[in-house]
Amino acid sequence: MRRLFLIVQQFREYFLLALLVVASVAFMAENDNQQIRRIRAIGIAVVGRVQETLSFVPNFFQIQRENEVLRQVNLNLADEVNQLREARLENLRLRRLLGFKETTRYEVIPAKVVGKSLYLLRNTITLHAGEKDGVRVGMPIVTDAGLVGKILATSPAYSIGQIVLNRDFRASAKIQRSRVDGIIAWEGGRYSLMKNVPKTLDVKVGDIAETSEYSNTYPPGLRIGVVASVTQQPGSLFQRIEIENAVDFTALEEVFVMKFQPDSARMQLELRARR
Amino acid sequence: MKTSLSIRYAVITVILILIQTTFLRFISVGGVTPDAIVLWLVYLALRFGQIHATVAGFVLGLTLDVIGGDFIGLSALSKTVSGFVAGYFYNEEKMEQTLASYRYTVLTMLVSMVHNVIYFSIFVQGSEMPFWRTLFLYGMTTTAYTSVLSFLPIFGFSRARGDRVLLR
Repeated sequence: MRRLFLIVQQFREYFLLALLVVASVAFMAENDNQQIRRIRAIGIAVVGRVQETLSFVPNFFQIQRENEVLRQVNLNLADEVNQLREARLENLRLRRLLGFKETTRYEVIPAKVVGKSLYLLRNTITLHAGEKDGVRVGMPIVTDAGLVGKILATSPAYSIGQIVLNRDFRASAKIQRSRVDGIIAWEGGRYSLMKNVPKTLDVKVGDIAETSEYSNTYPPGLRIGVVASVTQQPGSLFQRIEIENAVDFTALEEVFVMKFQPDSARMQLELRARR
Repeated sequence: MKTSLSIRYAVITVILILIQTTFLRFISVGGVTPDAIVLWLVYLALRFGQIHATVAGFVLGLTLDVIGGDFIGLSALSKTVSGFVAGYFYNEEKMEQTLASYRYTVLTMLVSMVHNVIYFSIFVQGSEMPFWRTLFLYGMTTTAYTSVLSFLPIFGFSRARGDRVLLR
């Protein structure tokens, strides 16, 4: 401090000159005449030139700040890209569903899948559509790919669906090519099974399995899957037919609930006949 | 500086400012007016040194700017620097010799030139007037006229000095 004071003392004439020149320039800057406008223009040009010349010298703090801003922008853009990608995929899914909705002859209720279990023995999905939307217990759940399951329980806004990958699930099915009938069930694992198909009947790998007219729960012709393997089991009357499900349950996000109710007259008649 | 002396110098300064702003235009030649304030600044610099001359230059210049009212700060800047330059020639021992000789004129010429270069280099900005032409037409002629006018105080100083020498 004392050293600084000594320096100021030693060069006081120069400090005084600098001070008064700055004061004079400050007074001049208050004017708004052509000279000052011109000097300002020259000043800006000179400063610009100097800045341009020195622009290659990196400013640490500026770079740090710029980095922060760029990181933030990057984050925002990544988020935006993600959203756009999501929107694109949703768009594709919805387009497919829309196509299905236009081709099906039944009235359908669109529903978003808001919850699902896939690794239990009795797997279900939760749909964001309920009684208020017209969903009732027993209605089939489908996508454009095929059969998903059926409604198990409802609330005003939500409903629970039993999916194909559920030990309690049963559906009458047939092989599209050979019209061989069977029952679709699931006993765990990747594939569903088509049961009760005698060994003598014609079923081949690649055949399409779909719901049959025998079903009172599902309309006929809904695709269930493709035959993945056919095994002749020794000591059994039936073949073991594994079905690769048409619906990818892991990627299930939107479904339709079909307003298909069992035919009560048919059910009553069948019940009466059994008694 | 004593108070009475300060008052005397302040009064002289005020009178010189009045002369500069009112009467000197009557002796202008071709629109060129001598700069009595520069003469006074050189005198103050030789008499009291660089700091006094620099401050006096700023105050006098600012006063002229305020009275003139067209470009506040321009005279303050040019006269501050002029006072500073004149202050370089301060020498307490040779002060009276310098004031009473041609050196005062030479110094006045130099300081006036510095003053006019600064003044006109800013004044011509943004106008159609070419700098060198303006400096020659107005700056150099003002310098010449002011230098000529510096002979008047030289006579005064030399007479006062002669009287003092005679009195010893």
